[in-house]
Amino acid sequence: MTTLASGGVTSGVSAPPGGLRRIGSARWRRRNLTFDKISFFLVFLVIPVAFYVGFVVSPFVQAAYFSLTDWTGFTPAMNFIGLSNYAKLFTDSTFLQAMGNNILMAFVVPIVTLGLAMFFATLVTVGGSTRGNIKGLRNSSFYRVISFFPYVIPAIVIGLIWSQIYDPSAGLLNGILTRLGLEQFTSFAWLGDPRTARWAVMFVIIWGLVGFYMVLFIAAIKGVPAEVFEAARIDGAGRFRTAISITIPLIRENVQTAFIYIGILALDAFVYMAALEPGGGPDNTTLVMAQQLFTTAFAKGQFGYACAMGVVLAVITLAYAGLVFAVNRIFGGKSEVGE
Amino acid sequence: MDINSRPLGRRDFLRGSLAAAALAATGSLAACATSGTGTTSQSSAPAGQVSDTNPFGVKSPSTVDAVIFNGGYGIDYAEFAGKQVEAKQQGVTVKVTPTTKVAQTLQPRFVAGNPPDVIDNSGAGLIGINTIRDQLAELNDVVEAKNYEGTVIKDTLYPGVMNPGTFDGKFVVLNYALTVYALWYSASLFEQNGWTVPKTYDEMLALGAEAKGKGKYLLGWGKEAATYYQTMAIDSAIKEGGDEVRLALDNLKPGCWSLPPVQDVFNGLKKIIDAGYVKPGGAGTQFTAAQAQWSDAEQFILYPSGGWIENEMKKQTKSGFKMTGAPEPVVSSNSKMPWEALHSTAGEGYIVPSQGKNVAGGKEFLRAMLSKDAAVNFAKTKLSSTIVKGTVPPDAFGSTALQSQIKLLEGAGSNIFTHNFVDLYGMNTDQLVVWNSFLSGDSDVAKLTKGLQDITDKVAKDDSIKKVQVS
Repeated sequence: MTTLASGGVTSGVSAPPGGLRRIGSARWRRRNLTFDKISFFLVFLVIPVAFYVGFVVSPFVQAAYFSLTDWTGFTPAMNFIGLSNYAKLFTDSTFLQAMGNNILMAFVVPIVTLGLAMFFATLVTVGGSTRGNIKGLRNSSFYRVISFFPYVIPAIVIGLIWSQIYDPSAGLLNGILTRLGLEQFTSFAWLGDPRTARWAVMFVIIWGLVGFYMVLFIAAIKGVPAEVFEAARIDGAGRFRTAISITIPLIRENVQTAFIYIGILALDAFVYMAALEPGGGPDNTTLVMAQQLFTTAFAKGQFGYACAMGVVLAVITLAYAGLVFAVNRIFGGKSEVGE
Repeated sequence: MDINSRPLGRRDFLRGSLAAAALAATGSLAACATSGTGTTSQSSAPAGQVSDTNPFGVKSPSTVDAVIFNGGYGIDYAEFAGKQVEAKQQGVTVKVTPTTKVAQTLQPRFVAGNPPDVIDNSGAGLIGINTIRDQLAELNDVVEAKNYEGTVIKDTLYPGVMNPGTFDGKFVVLNYALTVYALWYSASLFEQNGWTVPKTYDEMLALGAEAKGKGKYLLGWGKEAATYYQTMAIDSAIKEGGDEVRLALDNLKPGCWSLPPVQDVFNGLKKIIDAGYVKPGGAGTQFTAAQAQWSDAEQFILYPSGGWIENEMKKQTKSGFKMTGAPEPVVSSNSKMPWEALHSTAGEGYIVPSQGKNVAGGKEFLRAMLSKDAAVNFAKTKLSSTIVKGTVPPDAFGSTALQSQIKLLEGAGSNIFTHNFVDLYGMNTDQLVVWNSFLSGDSDVAKLTKGLQDITDKVAKDDSIKKVQVS
């Protein structure tokens, strides 16, 4: 079964035999460039690479350079000031707090979202009746559509909808809670209380994303042959055991990708925060680095300093991706199916 | 399969790609790096003939590129002024472009040395004036020129309106819309209940008890506007302690938030908060929603804000509300300035970048805005006064709020002051946090003071931030 997960099947096809390659490269030198080759290079390589370098790599490099200057953002002139922006950054309590908030979110949001998404995906695909064919719950396609709804709404709209729901005086949430007789929630500011703000915000992000990752996992699970699940069932595995020992190991690559995607989103979270907590929340408990970066650049006119924040954010994001890879590698060999 | 006719192999492809990437990398990197830092010093267009009717020598034909913040006031008043310019200066066309995010939109143009000729630098996304003030044209010649009616513009303005736009002796920002900061209430509601406007924080506390009796709160706030209470607190402290307090704060002096008048105000507010007279939940309420709780639902009865409040809440104001402004409270009866003293400043900061292509045209645009027709048009359509005097008739176009603004200005006489440091150094975002928790009742005066002092000290100690000396 390993081949399915690791893509090993294809490895035999990709490299042509040695002799072929040598003759090929000799020909390449002699006959050099035909129109076919040139146009192919141009369309599929030069243009995309130029775009990539021009619009992705070069801004990165520039930002890294600007982070070493005192550029205000509104003049052509700037002075090189070495690493002092970074020195300032790591003594800036507000930024450090934002970083902490981001890191907390990068752990809570992916784990909860993907956990729920996996749970629902399992129910919808293989969690149905234990008799007959492997199938999902009854009406599973209906649930699939419903749960995907939030993802169709743009993040900013989700933020605005929830900021209304959380409104202390006129919001739906407090309306329901007080109607249920929980008087302590009269005018309770979910987004304005340092104890609840960050959880309220994370809930919104999770609510908005579960549907998408659920559909992603459903697609992955559908790629696993039903016989595997049938075999597991014959061996007496229950639904939970099937999910842990069969489903997750078989779609590990998808889970890893999902983790990285959602982690990057949680490390950014700018859109949700702009709608829910534009000011950084009570006691800055929901302030994220991207917000701080934005204010520093545009409101305070310190683009050089803001670029330093951007570089730190990029490094953290890379470190996060590395961590996910590492964790996957560590748990990889041990829980392989079919041993 | 014939080897020779083999289509492009993977290796060949990759080898090619490497070369292409290397080529592209060096090419566009170099291009982009220079485009970010290239200096272009554009001199303004050669001037036209200077005359009494064309005091800045606008060239004809030429175009004036005006970028106007499209916020509460819209852009139609600027288009109106643009038409005036076109009518007075033959061959000049004015292009008015709206924007909602001034800094984001214009930042690349400043870097490229190609800024617009005139900008309404306002709104939440404005460019911090401290960042660009070296790149702005001085506007003294605008106010010294004659308006379209032939009067020197300076003589038609309210006193002191140039102060907030003057930095280190250079007048570079023309703030167009006059704003008074006041404590707003419904005159009809107060009349019904026989309430009087409180002049001190003790009187406010007493009024809070009466309001509570009617099932209403005294005050309320929204999370993005918690610092309206800071503005009121600063204003009260300045009235109480005089210029000494104003200068300490404006110049970011150590310990400025611990000055006795400031502390007295904070303690006065704290008593009101502790008594439960402030509508809870403001820290989680969007500010216009909170303001509607005051102007529409009448759940609380006093709201500190600027004169824009009427226009902002136009659609969410109860009929018969009679929105009226009162001077912000003082602490005691022996304050250094009278209760009637007023924090008044001008907003909608117009700037003319000195690198613009048509600096003279930008100034001509301001001249049109300061002339009678445009100023009256603004007052009438926006229910808000410009810095030009005498444009609001006694009935104030039927607006009680505008009427009371004019009355407040008259009542204050020469006791008009302003302070700039919060916006100048972009401190509002950080201060909101501190004020939200203070108003929620989660912190105390000591925490509030420390929080504000830390924010102030951080700016004061940062050498990379240019300071403006206020006197």
